[in-house]
Amino acid sequence: MAATIERLPSTELRADVYRRGRNRIQKAVTYVLLTAAALMFAFPLFWTVSSSLQTWKELRSFEPHLLPAVPQWGNYARVFVSVPFARWMGNSFLITAITIPGVIITGSLTAYSFARFNYIGKEIWFVLMLGTMMIPTQVTLIPQYVLFFNLKLINTYVPLTIGSWLGGGAFMIFLLRQFIMSIPRDLDEAALMDGASPIRILWGVLLPLMKPALTTVAILQFLGDWNEFFGPFIYLNRVDLFTAAVGLRFFQNIPLETSDPRDHLLMAAAAIMTIPVITLFAAAQRYFIQGVVLSGLKI
Amino acid sequence: MATMANRLKLSGFSEMLTTSRQRRENFYGYLFLTPWLIGFFGLFLGPGLFSLYLSFTKYDVLSAPEWIGLKNYIKMFSDDPLFYTSLGRTFYYAGVGIPLGVFGSMFLAILLNAKLRGLAAYRTLFFMPSLVPIVASVVLWKWLLHADFGIINQWLVDIGWSDPPGWFGDRRWAIPSLIFMGLWQGLGGTRMIIFLAGLQGIPESLYEAASIDGATAFHKLRHVTIPLLTPTIFFNMVLGVIGGLQVFTAAFVATEGGPGFATTFYSLHLYRQAFDYWNMGYAATLAWFFALVIVSLTIWQLRLSRRWVFYYGS
Repeated sequence: MAATIERLPSTELRADVYRRGRNRIQKAVTYVLLTAAALMFAFPLFWTVSSSLQTWKELRSFEPHLLPAVPQWGNYARVFVSVPFARWMGNSFLITAITIPGVIITGSLTAYSFARFNYIGKEIWFVLMLGTMMIPTQVTLIPQYVLFFNLKLINTYVPLTIGSWLGGGAFMIFLLRQFIMSIPRDLDEAALMDGASPIRILWGVLLPLMKPALTTVAILQFLGDWNEFFGPFIYLNRVDLFTAAVGLRFFQNIPLETSDPRDHLLMAAAAIMTIPVITLFAAAQRYFIQGVVLSGLKI
Repeated sequence: MATMANRLKLSGFSEMLTTSRQRRENFYGYLFLTPWLIGFFGLFLGPGLFSLYLSFTKYDVLSAPEWIGLKNYIKMFSDDPLFYTSLGRTFYYAGVGIPLGVFGSMFLAILLNAKLRGLAAYRTLFFMPSLVPIVASVVLWKWLLHADFGIINQWLVDIGWSDPPGWFGDRRWAIPSLIFMGLWQGLGGTRMIIFLAGLQGIPESLYEAASIDGATAFHKLRHVTIPLLTPTIFFNMVLGVIGGLQVFTAAFVATEGGPGFATTFYSLHLYRQAFDYWNMGYAATLAWFFALVIVSLTIWQLRLSRRWVFYYGS
């Protein structure tokens, strides 16, 4: 070893030592920046949980308490007593139970059509489909509202779920189409030779292979519906039909004169509403990221 | 007639119409497309065109639309101060928030792309805020940024800012508050993952070549990483503009457009016209103009992209 080093011209050796030192500094700087960012991202999450476990008096003091003196687990129970939060969460789950099968079935059919068949007008429909992503929802909002109003479908979940049974939206279709296109056509052809019908090929050959993509789509649909505020807000005006998102805002806006102070309960409700999403993330982390990979965004 | 048939044959059209294979493709293609086609016509194109018609009418849902020609459009440009204010505030929010968001996400992704230990944990942590439902996030941030009892203001007082901002309750600070909240939610989310995917697509050989030439980390960032990320930056900018201009929920739940119209973004103005005042015709006018703005901005960005987006290998 010593011999090798001796043989190196001294300037090169010095450059090498210099480079290694620089690398160490770079590493340190990277960790410092990452940790600073991590603290900024994590603190609000920590603060939600901590505030939700404090008494109202603790929260409303000019000396902030980072941690509750005694964790008030009862706050969580009081959320469910103060407002029908369990009912609202149940409604949100019900909506996702309707939309997820919808997007899986009709989204796959549409994606199958775009990925595997060669028909007149396909390119035009495909471009139009992608174009819908660019148009703001406000453009179709008013006529859609008028339509559902005239069909007496206000205060039902039809306006909120029908889209998922009609393809499920451009992004989902695009994602599924990209995935089908990555499956070798030979598999379809072989099944076709065996006399399988196209629907049989989709059901028996493609869908089993599409499980990762379908899981991703199901998760994205769940997140979208769980988070959705505007649709439920305009189409539902009976408190017992509210979703968790609309319900949380309702809870926030109950006039103070008619109710006890509730900042701590609001924090608990916000935490409760976030739990299903975090649980899903913990259970299926890789599918959250898969959406990006599937859509072929290597760019 | 003969030439027509010839032309059709040349372009393969006659085969498309006649061979049994093609007939089959047409049949099944359209069969499976049907659910989406129903949605496209029934929930998108139909309502879109009806909304265009409504933009020329006075309509309150309960009585039939009444044709008033261009009156809504004239009102929008000459007799609705909130039209300009809300458009301006929307551009302020998007113009500041989107570049900060896109470059912030890129910066985080570059840090996470270093080959260091423990980065997966950081990535997970950065991603977490994007999972918080937006309404829950508003509840949280209204408390963090509470003028009197919010922990952020208590810290600001501690470090010597005796008169800290009123945040959501302050006309000047309401939009910045929404931007901070948006950054917290958005920086580490899908956008950062897209940047990570983009970074992983950069060939290692380019960095090796740069190292041999004695490039420093900064040089590599400046001359390899960023140029090769321009397509990803562009993609995120386009999506960011389309989404950012439509901002609604955060402002509606946090401030209801206030204080004093400070956060009355375009979509809130439109919502009020439609669902508080039942001016459905006028709201449709606002909606169509909005679509025009977003589509033009997208096309403009596409045009502009030819000057700065670099596609490796082409």
